Amino acid sequence: MTAPAAPSVAAATTAFERLRAGDPAALARALTVLETDGAEADALRRRLHALVGSAVVVGVTGPPGVGKSTLVDAYVEALRRRRRTVAVLAVDPSSPLTGGAVLGDRTRMGQHTSDTGVFVRSIASRGHVGGLALSVPAMLDAVDVAGFDDIVVEAVGAGQSEVEISRFADVTVVVGAPGLGDDVQAIKAGILEVADVLVVNKGDLPLADQTAEHLRSMLRLRSTDRVPDVLTVSATERRGIDELVDAVAAAGRDRGEPGAGPRRRATELLRQRALAEVERRLAGDGLAGAALADLGAAVHRGEISLADATEAVLTRCAAIRPSQPADDGGDEPSGRDQR
Amino acid sequence: MTTTDHTQMTLPGFAAARDRWEGAYDRQLDDPRTIRNRSGIEIKPLYGPDDWDGSGYLDRLGFPGEAPYTRGIYPTMYRGRTWSQRQLIGLGTPADYNERIRFLIDNGSTAISLLPCNSGFRGLDCDEVPFPLLGTCGTVVNSVDHMDAALDGVSLADVSTAMNDPTPFTLLAFVLGVAKRRGVPFDRVTGTSNQSDYISHYVANHMFYRLSQPGSRRLLVDHVEYCRQAVPNWNPVSVVGQHMQQAGATPAETMGFTLSTAIQYADDCMARGMDPDEILPRFTFFFDVSISLFEEVAKFRAGRRIWARVARERLGARDPRSWRFKFHGQTSGVDLTAQQPLNNIARVATQAIAGIFGGLQSMHTDAYDEAITCPTEESARIAVATQNLLREEAHLCDVIDPLGGSYYVETLTDQMEAEILAVMDTIDAAGGMYDAVGSGLVQTMIGRSALAAQNRIDAGEEKVVGVNCYRDDADGVGPPPMRPDAERMRRFVDDFAAFKSARSHDEVDRQIAELRRAARSDDENVFARVVDAAWSGVTHGEIVAALRDELGFGDPLIVA
Amino acid sequence: MNETSSPPAPTALDAAPLRVLVTKIGLDGHDRGSRLVAAFLRDAGHEVIYTPPWQQVADVVTLAVQEDVDVIGVSSLATDHLIVPDLMDALRAAGLGHVAVVVGGIVPEQELPPLLEAGVRAVFGPGSSRDEIVGAVATWGVEARTAKLADGGFAR
Repeated sequence: MTAPAAPSVAAATTAFERLRAGDPAALARALTVLETDGAEADALRRRLHALVGSAVVVGVTGPPGVGKSTLVDAYVEALRRRRRTVAVLAVDPSSPLTGGAVLGDRTRMGQHTSDTGVFVRSIASRGHVGGLALSVPAMLDAVDVAGFDDIVVEAVGAGQSEVEISRFADVTVVVGAPGLGDDVQAIKAGILEVADVLVVNKGDLPLADQTAEHLRSMLRLRSTDRVPDVLTVSATERRGIDELVDAVAAAGRDRGEPGAGPRRRATELLRQRALAEVERRLAGDGLAGAALADLGAAVHRGEISLADATEAVLTRCAAIRPSQPADDGGDEPSGRDQR
Repeated sequence: MTTTDHTQMTLPGFAAARDRWEGAYDRQLDDPRTIRNRSGIEIKPLYGPDDWDGSGYLDRLGFPGEAPYTRGIYPTMYRGRTWSQRQLIGLGTPADYNERIRFLIDNGSTAISLLPCNSGFRGLDCDEVPFPLLGTCGTVVNSVDHMDAALDGVSLADVSTAMNDPTPFTLLAFVLGVAKRRGVPFDRVTGTSNQSDYISHYVANHMFYRLSQPGSRRLLVDHVEYCRQAVPNWNPVSVVGQHMQQAGATPAETMGFTLSTAIQYADDCMARGMDPDEILPRFTFFFDVSISLFEEVAKFRAGRRIWARVARERLGARDPRSWRFKFHGQTSGVDLTAQQPLNNIARVATQAIAGIFGGLQSMHTDAYDEAITCPTEESARIAVATQNLLREEAHLCDVIDPLGGSYYVETLTDQMEAEILAVMDTIDAAGGMYDAVGSGLVQTMIGRSALAAQNRIDAGEEKVVGVNCYRDDADGVGPPPMRPDAERMRRFVDDFAAFKSARSHDEVDRQIAELRRAARSDDENVFARVVDAAWSGVTHGEIVAALRDELGFGDPLIVA
Repeated sequence: MNETSSPPAPTALDAAPLRVLVTKIGLDGHDRGSRLVAAFLRDAGHEVIYTPPWQQVADVVTLAVQEDVDVIGVSSLATDHLIVPDLMDALRAAGLGHVAVVVGGIVPEQELPPLLEAGVRAVFGPGSSRDEIVGAVATWGVEARTAKLADGGFAR
């Protein structure tokens, strides 16, 4: 770890010191805070940025039913054999209707509950359209500061979560299984582009080798320099898992110098927040939302080009000061304080 | 020509009469609402020859004891031999169990079922669990000695003993050890390995889930193979519909899933080279019988009809004994309430009638306090008496398939058959029951039905007396719960510890090593090694632990 | 429903969903009830961490710590409620005394007092309505969260 030496839990007097010492209760509380907005979360994020170390973040994604959770369970086992400490963040979608969620991924990893070298946290996407939670990049920093060697983020491949994960993970593993039509899935926009390692699980099934071959041939059609590994594994039979650990380690080394990971996460956090804020402003009744409607009508009438209209909308969004709510006038005087 | 046209032709004036009745019915009825049974089938107020007219009698019903067996699997049914009164019993120590079964045999029970302690279902010995939990819901049996004490005074050659015994079937291994000690030849040992259906444990009621799916799959076939050769009159397979219905599957779904599971097991055995006629005569089924009386009767009649066809046409069995759908029915605990528990006596009687009219071969009736505690002597006696009086006083055994020919029941049987076949098609499309539960499909379907049923109760559409209607909120405190005698249990656990240290450790180690070796091999019969180990004093917990290590153990897939 | 006292009136905290652990300890494996309750809680907007049955008490504590839960719902059929007091002790020893614990299932009247004395907030017997259960979880959960946040958290 490149951060300064962490205090021991016994010597720690504040929650933050306990977090740095690796206390699971402090880490869990930090994760809860980082899932919210507000001053405490902001302050915590700043302190974390100053300290993040060298945890390796592996994203594991793929369509439902391929055995991701079982694979992660086996993967964690293999890392523990190599004496590495590991945290798992398992993301599941929240109900778009009620906002609630049933989070059951960790039921596959029950054997690790009594291992103090493993920390598992279930996360709900909380309405984030891409399928991952908005706060995952910040939560990774907290886990990193707590001292874990490896962090696995597991999420169902739905929406654009594969691509999202690849933006902040050091290594992106995409999992498929034979006979699920995953060759069709694979050519869905972006997946082959983002995978560092492709895994065909359920390797005991007859079609597994064929599926792996198919994937390899699709990869060869792309004209890039890096061709990801395609591995065949069986999570339930624990075959091919050590090879997977090695492949991930090799891909990680390819990704960039130390510190690149945390910077990447911070950038992704900013990107998500910025996009969410633009959405929020456009959705409101305020200046930006009204501008959207007016400019849309103008585009329709042919009075302005799409490119010019886009620039105008974005300018409107930016014109709203951060201290004011979106439906307040940006330029007009009002009773509120303007800074 | 449709049934209606046929009726019109043979019964002139029928349509006019029916229309008159419908008119009067509609005029007098204040609240016309659609009524559906638990399987979702709409139930009309009246059925007649325009619904079913008996023209398909030989194809669809036939005579008892002949395909398609709709009316019963034997020519004589209860006139020849009544169903076995096989009460599920389990409490405390083997000595406690022995006292209870002798009492019940004196009071009319004709066969035995042994329900082990929950610790046993979890694969643990009595010294591995918190003491207060021991023997509260079943009898602790971890060794051949324990089984010997439990069956003291019971003639193994004459009394059928069902063991509630999930994979790896240690209880049967202990029973065989007792038979060997008493000089009873194994071909005289009869009974059933209840809960041998590992797929049902993966899906629902995870009570009995012990080994990984692939490991259980292998062990079941080993078990069938062993019994076929060594214990030929034992039923090694009991395909269980009970757990899924209790978890919320509708009666039609339950029958569909259960038949699909039976097909899966038959396929697995045949893949290992067994002939269908060698194994299917010893396939039995185990169902919940709910209080939805007519629906249950129709479910079982349809089940018989479908299985006869499946066994012959799909599985290729040529022996008529392979086509017979033999089942045990247990009155459904899910219909019982903790509120106003004495009402449960009436519920159980109704469920028992459904089972009898449904043609079961063996029955367990719940005690009225089932929802709260392990049965007391009195409540257990009433449960058996219920079966006795239905037989002796209501004369329910006098006529075979008495509801046969009822316009309603025949129509409903056909409709249930259609629903059941649709479920079986869904499972087939998913690659068979093993794959369907692996993917969570079955769990999802059951969860949907469970939620729908709960919604109906919450909305007051489905009435439960004492719960959402006819409540008595001044319900008194019920009887104190039954708990095993703590002193006796303490002594029992101490004796068990003494037994373990007195064993030859070398022999125990050797047996466990053999067991592990067999599990790792591709072609050895693991159950045969389980039997050897049990006879050499290896305990239940030790056997399960060794097999879990070799064959795997993962949590069942929960689909919430 | 049996409780020690009526739950406090709900106060508005952050808008984040409550986190509820739904689990079974002891030896019983019937989980139809706990699955339904998990679905009810999800439909009421909460996040449910759902475990298979037969959890060890020590593991439930670990889960409660890692998932920073506000409420633990223990489903108990048969006699598993007899070891709930052990769970309460373990939670307090781990500094999780503020977490609200509720029990659902069949608990004979005579065996309720030890549970309530051990700190179980409520016991839901058969016939408890969905609204009762969800309502109680919500109000006890908000109280638990308030108590938890009272220690200042990361503000220092």
